[in-house]
Amino acid sequence: MIYASQLKDKQVWDAWGHPLGQCVDILITHLEESFPPILALAVRDENGVTQFIAADSLSSLFPSIILKVPQKALIPYEPHGEELWLLDHVLDRQIVDTDGRRVVRVNDIQIARIHERFCVTGVDAGGIGLLRRLGLEKPLKALARLLGRPLAAKVIPWEDVATVQQEDPIRLRISREKISHLPPADIAAIINDLDRKTGHALISALDDETLADALEESPSGVQVAVLSQLAPERAADILEQMGPDEAADLLAELPEQTSAQLLDLMEDEDAEDVRRLLGYPEDSAGGIMTTEFAQVPEGLRAEAALDYLRHSPEAQEDEALYYIYLVDERECLRGVTRLRDLVMALPETPLEAFAEKEPLSVDPHTPQTDVAYLIAKYDLLAVPVVEPGSGKLLGIVTVDDAIDAVLPTAWKKRLPRFF
Amino acid sequence: MKLKRKLTPWMQRLWFYLAIFGPGLITASADNDAPGIATYSMAGSTYGYRFLWLLVVITVGEVVIQEMAARMGAVTGKGTADLIREQFGVKVTAFAMTCLFLANLGTTLAQFAGIAAGTELLGISRYVTVPLAAVLVGFIVLRGSYKYVEKVLLVLCLSALSYVVSGFIIQPDWSEVARQGLTPSFQGDSAYILAVLATIGTTITPWGIVYMQASVADKGVALKDYRYTRIDVMAGATWGNVVSAFIVICTAATLFTHGIRVESAEQAALALEPLVGTSARYLFSVGLLGASLLAASVLPLSTTYAICEAFGWERGLDHRWHDAPVFYSLYLGMIGISVVIVLIPGIPLFSIMWLSQSLNAILLPVLLFLILKLANNRRLMGEWVNTRLQNVLAWCLTGIIGGITLVLLFSAVA
Repeated sequence: MIYASQLKDKQVWDAWGHPLGQCVDILITHLEESFPPILALAVRDENGVTQFIAADSLSSLFPSIILKVPQKALIPYEPHGEELWLLDHVLDRQIVDTDGRRVVRVNDIQIARIHERFCVTGVDAGGIGLLRRLGLEKPLKALARLLGRPLAAKVIPWEDVATVQQEDPIRLRISREKISHLPPADIAAIINDLDRKTGHALISALDDETLADALEESPSGVQVAVLSQLAPERAADILEQMGPDEAADLLAELPEQTSAQLLDLMEDEDAEDVRRLLGYPEDSAGGIMTTEFAQVPEGLRAEAALDYLRHSPEAQEDEALYYIYLVDERECLRGVTRLRDLVMALPETPLEAFAEKEPLSVDPHTPQTDVAYLIAKYDLLAVPVVEPGSGKLLGIVTVDDAIDAVLPTAWKKRLPRFF
Repeated sequence: MKLKRKLTPWMQRLWFYLAIFGPGLITASADNDAPGIATYSMAGSTYGYRFLWLLVVITVGEVVIQEMAARMGAVTGKGTADLIREQFGVKVTAFAMTCLFLANLGTTLAQFAGIAAGTELLGISRYVTVPLAAVLVGFIVLRGSYKYVEKVLLVLCLSALSYVVSGFIIQPDWSEVARQGLTPSFQGDSAYILAVLATIGTTITPWGIVYMQASVADKGVALKDYRYTRIDVMAGATWGNVVSAFIVICTAATLFTHGIRVESAEQAALALEPLVGTSARYLFSVGLLGASLLAASVLPLSTTYAICEAFGWERGLDHRWHDAPVFYSLYLGMIGISVVIVLIPGIPLFSIMWLSQSLNAILLPVLLFLILKLANNRRLMGEWVNTRLQNVLAWCLTGIIGGITLVLLFSAVA
């Protein structure tokens, strides 16, 4: 294996053994391939002039960089501006490991000869790479072998890494494809681990839905930082994609002027939901409930109810669909049934035959901890939130949101980035 | 959320300024942490007003250096360690991070010495309070309640302001103060040089630079708003040094004139007697405790974070122990080493507090050299590179500190 750090500042010799200068960078392209080929070397001669030597004229890279041709027969390479400069743009930078789903730092880059071409095969993000750069690889490896615990290199295959550079739209698109399919919580963690500008570059490359999902999983500090970097129109689009409860939490963290502006830009229906949620204290049932839940009018039979749900936009929005709520014409809560019971019931059975008629409910001002207690005590998956007095069904608190109160997620425990 | 809704427009504007201002104010308060108070008290009581001119020079230096760090944070959006790694590679990073680690370990040690000295003034043994403080700091940080605690501790730090009030009550000879503030003087003996280095090292700190850049980068200050940050940084640095100068003035006027050279926290507290009489020791120990706890929560964490960031190791408290072993080992190691050293029977707490700051100054040129190279890198900074004046001032400062260190080595050998 050859490593990029071993080629840095190395003397380049032509076929006759004349020195041409030092290798100052390595240019590659076709990043979408598993093993992107090296296109050219940037070589600086003793006068400080940099020339590019096409990879076709390379005979060997290690232990010495030797060309196949004499200096006179050299075909110069003209960079077209879309190459990736390995030493300048990748070495020592942050990179996303899409298999390990995290941000790592590039300690070294692995190069191998494949079918007579020199190709990039992987990125060394481990301790061996660091030791090699420090010139301590050999002595420490020998020492480890003596101790009977040989050191293993940690090389991430090139196809599992995504470079993120703000100044580079083409490669961002390749990276986006690699990153978009990761779980939202991991995308959020990656955005958070990148430095601010690089994170921003990644954000602008992701589509609205992916970003909204990732934001829902982010700590509020990151949410605010991300949103405030977007154009207001895009920020409003993202907020529409988020659940109303998450969107409301986020807007509550923003300065009043900004949140009012964003609410105006959002579609009326979404904005209204969010506005209502914003009226409740953060740590109450109203503050953590979602307004996206499945409801059916009372008096239906099982088959009709299932049919109703299939065509109901609210049911489409309900992410979990643990329970179906029965409401009357004034949208008052009349009963609840588990989706399981509804599916298992015979088609002609009236809902009222198996639905719970006096379901447990809370009012919007019930403290979050009490809601969590209820859910834990009765083994519920969600609890409905009902307007006191009128009995109108306002929303539901799902178990995951309620549990956050008692058991903060790792994200919520996390400190601001540096301290 | 409810609270913010009730804010009137002018309060909202204040909120806005407070949100942008901040890093400068915090670093300014940090100037007067336990090692800071110890150093200035030692300097004022030993050399009278003769250190005031040095503080003037240091203020200019701190303004220039801190502004540079803030500007790099705003332009690049990256931390200092991050930039050093990307621009200078592994070897230089390893060297710089070793220096940063040693300097911050020394300062963390000084904070725990401050806790020990502060609580012993109240009559409680350090064998009780120091382990307790270590547990408390760990609890604050691991529970993630640092943001709230920070505010409480910042208020405690305000007790350093009592030196300013005290300074006016004592009514020192202001013309003498002004004269000494403007006339440079220097001595060649190693005790004096160590004191000079400590004064520089406690004001312009490696961790202050790293903290400044990180917090500006993290806040995402837009470049069009950068001028507010610049004002914040400059005002913060200047104000911090005004308070420092008052510590020197107070100790010089009350202790130096009576021939008392401060060698313990008890003596240092005497400088506040004109203000609060016999309660001076309580005021002094509260200030020392607040500042030390604040810094002891911030410093080890920020140091480990920067180092792990530079080398790409898993970092942050959302990782479990076995996912981020280096991060947790370094963090707990810094606190553990500090606690053990402070608990060595008979160790001179007060000397630890200010001598650690001399170490800070000796290691500082390494970092200064690197950030000067970075701040002049046009590919990185674009039109925001250093101006000629900034470069002249910063290089002078780096040269002066390096020069003084060499003189110290020379006098130690000779």
